[in-house]
Amino acid sequence: MKRIAIVEDEAAIRENYKDVLQNQGYSVQAYANRQQAMQAFTTRLPDLAIIDIGLEDEIDGGFTLCQALRAMSNTLPIIFLTARDSDFDTVCGLRLGADDYLSKDVSFPHLLARLAALFRRSELAANAEQSHEQLMERGPLSIDANRMQVSWNQHAIELTVTEFWMVHAMAKHPGHVRSRGDLMQEAKIYVDDSTITSHIKRIRKKFIAVDANFDCIDTVYGMGYRWDSHG
Amino acid sequence: MYHPPIGLRTKTLVLSLFLLGLPWLGYKYVWEMEKYLRYGQEQTLEGTTQAVATALHERPKLFDKQASFLKQVEKGRDLYAYPLNGPIQLDGKLSDWDEYSHKAMDYGSDNRLFLAENSDSKLHFRHMVGKYGGYLYGFFEVSDAQLVYRGRNSLAVDRNDMLAIATLAPDGLFRRYVIANLQDGWLSAFELPEDPSLDTPVRPENRIQGQWRKTETGYNIELRMPLEMVGSKLGFAIHDVNDARSRKVEAIVGTSATDSADNLGTVLVPSPEIESIIKGMGHNSSRIWVVDIHGRVLAKSGNLHDGGGVWAEAENEPQTFWTEFQQKYLNPIYYKILTRPPDDFVDTLKDSTELQGSHIQQALAGELASTWRLTQDKKAVVLAAASPIWIDDTVMGAVIAEETTHGIRTLRNRALEKLFNVILIVMSIGTLSLFFFASSISSRVRKLRDQAEQSIDSQGRIRNAIVPSPVRDEIGDLSRSFANVVGRLSQYTHYLENMSSRLSHELRTPVAVVRSSLEHLSLQPIDTEAMKYVDRAQEGVKRLSLILSNMSEATRLEESLSNAEADQFPLSKVISGCIAGYQMTYPREQFAFTAPSEPMMMLGVPEYIAQLMDKLISNAIEFHTPGSIVQVKLLQQAKHAILTVENLGPLLPENMAEEIFESMVSVRSQAAQQKPHLGLGLYIVRLIAAFHGGSIRAANLADGTGVVFTVTLPLQGS
Repeated sequence: MKRIAIVEDEAAIRENYKDVLQNQGYSVQAYANRQQAMQAFTTRLPDLAIIDIGLEDEIDGGFTLCQALRAMSNTLPIIFLTARDSDFDTVCGLRLGADDYLSKDVSFPHLLARLAALFRRSELAANAEQSHEQLMERGPLSIDANRMQVSWNQHAIELTVTEFWMVHAMAKHPGHVRSRGDLMQEAKIYVDDSTITSHIKRIRKKFIAVDANFDCIDTVYGMGYRWDSHG
Repeated sequence: MYHPPIGLRTKTLVLSLFLLGLPWLGYKYVWEMEKYLRYGQEQTLEGTTQAVATALHERPKLFDKQASFLKQVEKGRDLYAYPLNGPIQLDGKLSDWDEYSHKAMDYGSDNRLFLAENSDSKLHFRHMVGKYGGYLYGFFEVSDAQLVYRGRNSLAVDRNDMLAIATLAPDGLFRRYVIANLQDGWLSAFELPEDPSLDTPVRPENRIQGQWRKTETGYNIELRMPLEMVGSKLGFAIHDVNDARSRKVEAIVGTSATDSADNLGTVLVPSPEIESIIKGMGHNSSRIWVVDIHGRVLAKSGNLHDGGGVWAEAENEPQTFWTEFQQKYLNPIYYKILTRPPDDFVDTLKDSTELQGSHIQQALAGELASTWRLTQDKKAVVLAAASPIWIDDTVMGAVIAEETTHGIRTLRNRALEKLFNVILIVMSIGTLSLFFFASSISSRVRKLRDQAEQSIDSQGRIRNAIVPSPVRDEIGDLSRSFANVVGRLSQYTHYLENMSSRLSHELRTPVAVVRSSLEHLSLQPIDTEAMKYVDRAQEGVKRLSLILSNMSEATRLEESLSNAEADQFPLSKVISGCIAGYQMTYPREQFAFTAPSEPMMMLGVPEYIAQLMDKLISNAIEFHTPGSIVQVKLLQQAKHAILTVENLGPLLPENMAEEIFESMVSVRSQAAQQKPHLGLGLYIVRLIAAFHGGSIRAANLADGTGVVFTVTLPLQGS
């Protein structure tokens, strides 16, 4: 049984999520603030942590907690689930090593899908088995949908789940324009256009960090984005 | 109340005009000073007269006794020997006397001493006496129709035209002389016996020299005699004989009767002793007269033109740059106001023989006195002081000293020049410093005004804070309080602007609570009747969260704009790409798009431009009349791209053209609200346009059929 920790100061939400997750067959521990959570984590780490950024009187308590968790484990999946959806917060959270960043608008089915995906990725990362059925090759790009791994010229690119699905959606049909709506559906998030834009920008940056000449994601103004293998 | 548009600087300049009162004050002061100087000059001059008088007191022989005891002198009878400027050529021509001719007296019927019966003698003559170098000179210009010379064989000298001279000699004896010529030429003068009844000449008198000369109207006699012959009494008489045969004297015209000493008039010969005394004073800065009790001039020295009194001391200042400058530029201005004492005034008294004036009368009455007078041509002021000369407790004459006030005036002028110089310097420094002070104040105030105006843009948004001035005065205070006000205002504005994002943030949690609870509820087995309400509630919550994400969109855009990185991109390509996208997105709508072929490179973030287009197009689609064409035009004007989006449909309300770009303003009718609408779209458009250094305007189409949005974006210099 997967153990999921929820750190959320709003009791109603905490309880709702806890109920939903428990119904899904996860074992859930809920904490109202950072101190409680840290106490529990020092004794035993959960298999996945869902953290709110603002915790009671600590505005950025979630970030602090995320840092501490990352220090304890490199592989523990961490999801930020928060009402704060500004670019700044998103970037901050992801930089601190969170695996995904969801707004509280996310519906339960979506949340559950995310959890499943993360668990799958961490499991696959743990088991070194390679199945090539889900392997997609686009020139230097290779996507392993099972392990949710993306690599460019054999270099692994660390993407969040959201980013992974976006790259996946574009690379599935190279040359086809995918509108922002398509990308949102693929990534199972509901955000506005500018958030998609900033996601794309982050993806580009991550590829460019590996290969300075990377230019495969085309912006088709007014329509969306497309994967261009000849970039 | 009317406020004229006058700046601080102008006001200060006007106020500094009060400095012009300084020269007036200075002028008044110098004027006062001049009064004291004049008073001083009076005193000095009186002192001078007293000093001279002191030298003349109790010296009776300087004064002519005879005349001094007369009650009054009679002009014509009492003669006055004018001091002559040079010797007279004894030639019978009167040209030598021209310069004195105005002093000559006419003797005619009023001075007749005798007229024979039945005589129609018109005898009259002009005459004057003068004194030069120990001689008494005189001339007689006689008008006589019949000149009768002395007969060649006649012993008598009185049976012809002749001149009789009588005097009380200095030795106290009464002497008579006669001049009777045989012909023109050197005078023949004879002494007559004392007894007036005897007319036989005693002996020729060759000390009386001169010429007899016939003229057209009569004859001239020009003569001289040594002064020692002449006492204080003197008389001349012309005897006229017209009939050469009968040789009867028809008329006698004279200065006074010549028959006895008592009938003689006096003669005043200016005393050389007095003159030497006065000269000995060595005082030439003023003119000094000595007059006798009748006001007749006994002696004179000095010249009014020579100096303006003791006050005028020529200062020989070294020629510096400053003095040159003053002489060249300042003095012409000063002397428009000031007057230079003239050197060419007319001195009417120059050769006077009789002086009059209140000061002389007072002096002759025994008191010191002084007067001021203008010269006849009004060019100079003459100060005269007089003091009496005493002999045995009687006033025998007066010493008069005269000076012009030129010295004082020169002094005054010099003082005023200096004063004006100082005042000019003070005034110019004062005015300049006031001007600069006012300029600095007004420029500071203007700067503050500009800052205040720039701190808030036309829509009332805080653009930039006012930098508080560090200067610790009232304007600095004002600037600081402005800065405070703007700061507080911007804080409040900021608070208001962030309201939407914080609101959305704050609402998100309760919405999440409701939403997750509803999801739980929907997962519960409940009957369909209740399920209906759960679905509705979920629908509502969805809308709510859409509103919330819209609300935070603008804030997030602002944030991302603040750290966006600008690149070069082709604007026309971006816009045409967008239009192609819209034709796919809105398959039922029709777009008309025109753009120039140039790429129109600009610096910015293409995604934002695309977002701007999205908002404009969705706005146009929402409002357009169904079935009409949305017109998009892109064109280049100089260094700007002009993007217009036109749609037919309802017009903008009056005065809303600016406000529709504000956050949370929507001008659409409530009926159009199928979707949540916060009016943030156009606000986002404005943000993006402003980020790119452009602007946006909304206007109704000229023909009133719809609305046009115009975005102006700067292009890169190609």
